Amino acid sequence: MSLFARQLSLYTGTRRLIDALDLSLAPASVLGILGANGAGKSTLLAVLAGLAEPTHGRVELDGQPLAAWPPATRAQYLALLPQEDASGYFGSVADFVALGRFPYNEATTDVGPWLAAWELTALATRPLATLSGGERQRARLAQLAAQDAGIVLLDEPLTHLDPAHQAALLRWVRAEAERGRAMALTLHDPNWAACHCDRLLFLHGDGRWQLGTPADLLTPPSLEALYGPGTAALWQRGTPTLPV
Amino acid sequence: MIGLAAGSLPDDRELATQILTLLRGPRVAAAFACGGLLALAGVLMQTLFRNPLAEPYLLGASGGAGFAALLGMAAGLAWPWVSLAAFAGSLGALALAAALGGRLLARDHTPLLLAGVMLAAGFGALISLVLSIAPAERLPGMLFFLMGDLAWADRPGLLWVALIIASLAAFTLARRLDVLQLSPLKAASLGVAVAPTRWLLFALAGACTSLVVAQAGSIGFVGLMVPHALRRLGLVSHRVLLPAAALAGGSLLVLADALARTVLDPRELPVGVLTALIGVPVMLWLLRRP
Repeated sequence: MSLFARQLSLYTGTRRLIDALDLSLAPASVLGILGANGAGKSTLLAVLAGLAEPTHGRVELDGQPLAAWPPATRAQYLALLPQEDASGYFGSVADFVALGRFPYNEATTDVGPWLAAWELTALATRPLATLSGGERQRARLAQLAAQDAGIVLLDEPLTHLDPAHQAALLRWVRAEAERGRAMALTLHDPNWAACHCDRLLFLHGDGRWQLGTPADLLTPPSLEALYGPGTAALWQRGTPTLPV
Repeated sequence: MIGLAAGSLPDDRELATQILTLLRGPRVAAAFACGGLLALAGVLMQTLFRNPLAEPYLLGASGGAGFAALLGMAAGLAWPWVSLAAFAGSLGALALAAALGGRLLARDHTPLLLAGVMLAAGFGALISLVLSIAPAERLPGMLFFLMGDLAWADRPGLLWVALIIASLAAFTLARRLDVLQLSPLKAASLGVAVAPTRWLLFALAGACTSLVVAQAGSIGFVGLMVPHALRRLGLVSHRVLLPAAALAGGSLLVLADALARTVLDPRELPVGVLTALIGVPVMLWLLRRP
């Protein structure tokens, strides 16, 4: 199942963030979305998830406009990890992860495999609110994995994670793509983007965007055009900053 | 049983039976239903606002009801009309809060919250105004209404029907309520229609609260404390929390009302005073638990 954005434009007030974007998220691929703060990355993900309306254009899942899908059915195919925290949740880690199965209307859910995959088994009965930021991020990722959607959108998933867990997350993204899922994530480190993404989308925050392979887009001039003067030094030409 | 047994009964067996069946029985039934409705409304409000400090009167329901009821009392209206005025006042306050702040409810509950809190403050001032200019002989009745008093409740059957309908309606929403504890964006991405569900919660909580304030005034603390206490005791899933809240809220109010009728016998205290006197220490004890 594929997600297509056609002639998508996003404005906030009178400010143009994205103009006439054509984008497809195909199975077995990883798209990295990069841009400065406020460039529209999170807004784009919310629109792609069908949870916000674009100013112009439309998003289609399997050829149908997103709005035509019943919410619970859509959620079986399309999952989003938003940036904000699950701070209002009172329950345990296991209950929290089980909410990922909501679209399937199951009587009972065994969340053991997802807890184990994200090293949360020992924390299963702890209230989510007592976890550290990084542990909570892992619980959110486990919940996302439990949703078992074919198209997965992740908004800054590396937040709060230590370097080892960042590397583990990116390995997971790659592995899920190899199992046939379409993965898209926003991130800031061009080195991670080079190692783990098949395609990159640069959002300039003024309507302009660039879509291409890491080899096409990760050049010092284009990075400086994206993030500003002097930022090309971030880019280490394909050398990952950590072994992955 | 505690509610029925509390208080003295005359030796005359027939008179005692009449007191139990015509006075005390209906009052205990009304107390249980009011407590259950308030605790249910509290759960719904806390989930709607994703905040354990939310409670049924947060959006001005009790202020609107109190103001309308006091106006009715000052004008010399009899009870059923005062009750109807309170019901209309409560619904009116909630409708005003929704009209002023409900536009963005799909994403953000803050405008609704602010509108409701402002309305509650405004109605508080209007209540003070009515109290300060009302005839002195009507003041005790007004104060009892404002503090919550089950002596007014004359429709236990109606309250029970409402409790059963509201419990069933809330229970069918239980899984969605679990998900709504997450952020609106996350809940929507999991397949919950956030805006319609939030409006449903608002309407259900508002109906429960309005019915209780119209029958028994503004009984405080039940709607805040019962859901909060049950959550701290580990009842988090709404499939367990909702029925537990209805039972615990009902039981608490029956107990509080039994005490309100008997501790200063033959004088009766407003039950709202007792719910707070029981609730505050219990809450403080619960908050001290790790």
